[in-house]
Amino acid sequence: MAHDWQPNFEQLVDEYQSMVFSLAWRMTGDRGLAEEIAQDVFLELDKHLGKLESAAHACFWLRRVAMSRSADALRRRKVRGMDLWVEIDEGHGAKAEERTSPLGNRLEQLLSTLPEPHRAALVLRYQEDLTPEEIAATLASPLATVKSNLQRGLKLLRAKASNHLREYVRVKEQASGL
Amino acid sequence: MDFEPMEDFERDLRQAFQRRPAPPGLKRKLMEMRQKRRAPGPNSPHRQSNFFLWQRLAASVALAAVLGGAAAWRNAEERRKGEEARRQVMTALRITGHALNQMNAQLAARDRAAQQ
Repeated sequence: MAHDWQPNFEQLVDEYQSMVFSLAWRMTGDRGLAEEIAQDVFLELDKHLGKLESAAHACFWLRRVAMSRSADALRRRKVRGMDLWVEIDEGHGAKAEERTSPLGNRLEQLLSTLPEPHRAALVLRYQEDLTPEEIAATLASPLATVKSNLQRGLKLLRAKASNHLREYVRVKEQASGL
Repeated sequence: MDFEPMEDFERDLRQAFQRRPAPPGLKRKLMEMRQKRRAPGPNSPHRQSNFFLWQRLAASVALAAVLGGAAAWRNAEERRKGEEARRQVMTALRITGHALNQMNAQLAARDRAAQQ
């Protein structure tokens, strides 16, 4: 199929490196591993540049490969939730400006304790702002499964947050003058 | 104690899950790796795969030559043995023919002597 879009590797790296790296980091909980995954994904992209038809296609392809490579890495390393918790908690070499708010860090810690399918759905939903249909296409999963993972993941994360983030809520209430 | 409403929680999630900046050296590393991959060095996978291809091809040609030579030698050897056997049979036939001729001559001489 003929298409006018000419992919520019450097431009694609500029535009999507943060997305790919963040997806890999939130899925694996390991900053170093996320950087390796991001490198693999972009080198794979370089091989497939000729097959990409548009910027949207490139973005979709990058998301899908980043999620797939992260899942492969998790399976290889058999990383458990608590291990991820420690890594994210320690920032694992992240510079101060890369760290998010205390609430963000706590939510990321809690996210890393969720089962992988729930985590994947939530990351794509709340980091990438994808619809359930888009998540299903990205993960190559049935829509019903994605919706179920989103609902269960969200409930589970909220329940964990209710248990673990009381301190944060109290500080938040104090800050808002309640 | 209950946590904030689900909508607020989702909003907090969106804020917490903002994309993180990529490591500063990521793009530079990628461009270097890409450059290295595109310029094949002496030990590059492309060169190595070409080398192995030629090596396999040369081994195949050598093997075909050895097998072909062996087949031709075997064919020639069988033909030579066949010729040798034919030559021996002809010699035996000649000797036998000669002996028969001599016996015929002797018998004929005896018949003539008996008639006289």
